[in-house]
Amino acid sequence: MKDFLLIMPEVILVLTLAFVVICEITYSGEQLRLVTLISLLGLAGVFFQALISFEVGAAQIFSGTLSIDGFSLFFKFFFIVLAFLSVVSVSHSREMGAGRRTEYCLLILASTLSMFLAASASDVILAYLSLLFLNILSYFMTAYRQKSLISTEASVKYLTFGVVSGALYIYAVAILFVHTHTLNIYQMHKALVSHPMNSQTMLIAFMLIFLSFTFQIGAFPMNLIVPDIIEGAPTPSSAFLSVGARAAGFALITRFLIVIFAQNGLAQGQWEFIGDLDWTKIVAVVAGFTMVIGSLLAFRQKGAKRLVGNLVVSESGFLLLGIVVLDEAGITALLYNLVIQLFALMGVFYVLSFIYNELQSDLLDDLKGMLRRAVPETVCLILFLLCLVGCPPTPGFVGKFALIGAAIRHGKYSLAMVSVLAMSISMFAIARLAYRLVGDFRQVYPPFSYSWARKSFILALLLPLVLIGVFSNFVFAWAGQSLGFIFW
Amino acid sequence: MNYYLISFFVFIPLLGALFQSFLPKPKSRWVSLGASLLASVGAFALIFGMKNQTADIQAVENFSWISSYAISYEMGIDGLNALPVVLIGMIFPILIASEWNQKIGVKGVHGLFLLLQSALFGAVCAQDLFLQFFFWGLSALPIYFLVGIWGAENREKASFRTFIASSLGDAFIFTALVLIYYSVDPHSFSLRELSGGRLAGKVFEFWGHEFSISGVAFTLMSIGLSLRVPIWPFHGWFTEVAEEAPPSVFVAICAGIIPVGTYIFARLSYVLFPEALGDTFKYVVVIGILNLILGGVCAVAQKGLRKLLAYLCISEVGLVLIGLGSLSSVGVVGAVYEQLIFGLALAGFGLFSGLITQRTARIEFIGENQERVLGGIAIEAPMISIVAGIVLASLLGFPGLGGFVGHSLIMIGSFTVRPFTVIVAASSLLLASYYLFKMYRYVFLGEPTGETKGFEDLTVRERAYLFPLVVGLLFFGLYPKPLIELIRPTVLTLLSSVK
Repeated sequence: MKDFLLIMPEVILVLTLAFVVICEITYSGEQLRLVTLISLLGLAGVFFQALISFEVGAAQIFSGTLSIDGFSLFFKFFFIVLAFLSVVSVSHSREMGAGRRTEYCLLILASTLSMFLAASASDVILAYLSLLFLNILSYFMTAYRQKSLISTEASVKYLTFGVVSGALYIYAVAILFVHTHTLNIYQMHKALVSHPMNSQTMLIAFMLIFLSFTFQIGAFPMNLIVPDIIEGAPTPSSAFLSVGARAAGFALITRFLIVIFAQNGLAQGQWEFIGDLDWTKIVAVVAGFTMVIGSLLAFRQKGAKRLVGNLVVSESGFLLLGIVVLDEAGITALLYNLVIQLFALMGVFYVLSFIYNELQSDLLDDLKGMLRRAVPETVCLILFLLCLVGCPPTPGFVGKFALIGAAIRHGKYSLAMVSVLAMSISMFAIARLAYRLVGDFRQVYPPFSYSWARKSFILALLLPLVLIGVFSNFVFAWAGQSLGFIFW
Repeated sequence: MNYYLISFFVFIPLLGALFQSFLPKPKSRWVSLGASLLASVGAFALIFGMKNQTADIQAVENFSWISSYAISYEMGIDGLNALPVVLIGMIFPILIASEWNQKIGVKGVHGLFLLLQSALFGAVCAQDLFLQFFFWGLSALPIYFLVGIWGAENREKASFRTFIASSLGDAFIFTALVLIYYSVDPHSFSLRELSGGRLAGKVFEFWGHEFSISGVAFTLMSIGLSLRVPIWPFHGWFTEVAEEAPPSVFVAICAGIIPVGTYIFARLSYVLFPEALGDTFKYVVVIGILNLILGGVCAVAQKGLRKLLAYLCISEVGLVLIGLGSLSSVGVVGAVYEQLIFGLALAGFGLFSGLITQRTARIEFIGENQERVLGGIAIEAPMISIVAGIVLASLLGFPGLGGFVGHSLIMIGSFTVRPFTVIVAASSLLLASYYLFKMYRYVFLGEPTGETKGFEDLTVRERAYLFPLVVGLLFFGLYPKPLIELIRPTVLTLLSSVK
């Protein structure tokens, strides 16, 4: 019974999904379409149910396949907020036909379900299935723009890389299974501690599993498709994928790497790697490359969406810093930054989507003079971007400080230097975009239509960011408490 | 004496900025001006009630902000930051009044000025490194938008360069900050806890070499600040902004950002890096001299009022650096005093040159073939000429004006340590009197030309906002005693840790 109570959020999500499907089938030309409303109500229900399951307490359910703990709860709230914002923002977008917009809610809800499962999976096969589920939905979301070549192309690329990453994952799992005879990550950990693998096999298993995850989080060397996906997908999808799919990836990579490949260190709240293989060095190199390549590529882009796509890559590199240091402070900083990026990226893509609606383009050359045409939107776009890359005094800066500080505390000065460098390059990339937005003085541009709905949605994204900045302490404390996932 | 006055005057402009953005246009201007004035009154009340003869930090406010990283909201005021507070309190209401009749987006200009006022007040009063950096970073944003939206023709490029310079500068300071934070145990950002040479002798290892933390952090911080405060060779963005920014915004940079930047340099180097400063103060003086000379020489060649102001500012910063690097109590007191005075004087210069540009649509005062373009304003408009004369006299250090006190203290202080710098500084002042008088002669004296015929004198509003500047320059020149007594004990205490 307790098992059932603990997965009530997922159950309600499935019910909402079913309800939305029925609504769509029975729809016949009514003016008012209830799909958005039903989705939002369903998400609210999921939220309360998640709160209730929090009261019940952490547990491993269904013979250890799902871990309902602070960590998964953190991500559940994260995904609920994301789904909520996405459902609202989709209704403002004109990149998809009005009829298809409502169906899009279905994809969002289904992806949320898959991300819920990914966040609490403690079984390697369930994790694989939830990722597969998520990725298949992501391919649909990417290709959702009608009659667009780049959209289709991005989807096919996404699919190809997804298949490769899935194969790598399965190989890694096979190696681990042969050695440990279990599919549960916590039992794998115990087996690995009592009978360590030899370091070559460990290296191969680790590299395979880590490479497959780099696809999910968009890190080097799988970063190449990220800008393509973000450019090709309709802008609301870009927002959802760049936040949601990445966050699901980070939920899994954190849980898996730390539970399978690490053990309690000497000090409280610190871990160390199992056996002889120092895999943090591999992660550090990948983090450094991801940051630098992402920000350098962002600097050279001609399209705003591609630019943001590369910034997203660079941000993934920063988040990996939280894993490199192998302590609670690092992971806490990672979670804090994810929350910041949720609001910042949603804001960035929302404004870009609005610009795309008006101009049918996101090329930097076409964005000239946007500041004159839509003052609050453009100012907010710049603020969201600055927050994303952590320019002081935005709350993103506190997050970057926590991550880079964690690296310095563990004596990783080179990595910290690389990250400060990447941070400044990202800021230059944003300055390039902002330079275009400011625009030409001599030209007169017609202003855009005025919309309260648009302004209030932007405000609804900006306000949480300000609050997170002011009450960073609470967010850090919350993120820190969510780390109760170590059951070794 | 602690009624949370510091928080009051830091956050009132911010609240005012938010509040005025919801009001219709004519009313919003009064709210902006009111908020700015209210904050200034709070600031003056605090300074007025400060105890002198003590080096303690007064009116301390201390709350935990992000306790997991030991970041606190710690504000306080002492002799070193009292004067920048006075300066910001005087400048910003004036700037808001000067942009009273802005046609495009008056609410935006006022809101951003208020935001800048909050940020600078915060950066000056913060006694926590992180908080200080937070406000210092915040001060870059309004400038970017003010230049980018209201600037002249090439504003895109100017705002782009400003942004690059400030973000690069912030990256340097940030690195220094993190290094400092993790070098002490328990980790701390509080200036109070980091003071007294806590960083002395700490080293870190990088690629097999050992580096002294205070040396590296001091270098990073100095480079970071010199990108925001135009110090040669990083002044490229500044001279560009001089021509593109609206006059009031350029005044906000010259008289707001730059004095605060030099203040932060003084505070951090005396409190955090006394031993690094002890090793490197020669270089600080050398850089000061270089700035003084280069600023002066470049100013001679200028034909435009704005660029002249920019190079004047660079040379004034050089003078302040000479004072700070002299490490003698008189010199440092002079430098701290000069921060206030050059802020006021440059604000006056920027504002009257803005008015001239506005009325004659000209920035240059010397034409292509060295001919006179403007001229004779003194006959048409005596008031503005008197104001300009007083401002110039103060910049040159005429007795009875604020500049005299600042300049002479810096020179007296430096003379005991290194007489050579005094010779250089004095000759650069002679140079300054050449180019400033040349400017005055070309613009104000002589017969009116076509453009200055019928030049309208100062209106009541313009008189109202220029009046406090002139009174300030006269008052601080004639009666510097109370402020100097406020600065001296703090400077003596800080210097005792350097030697």
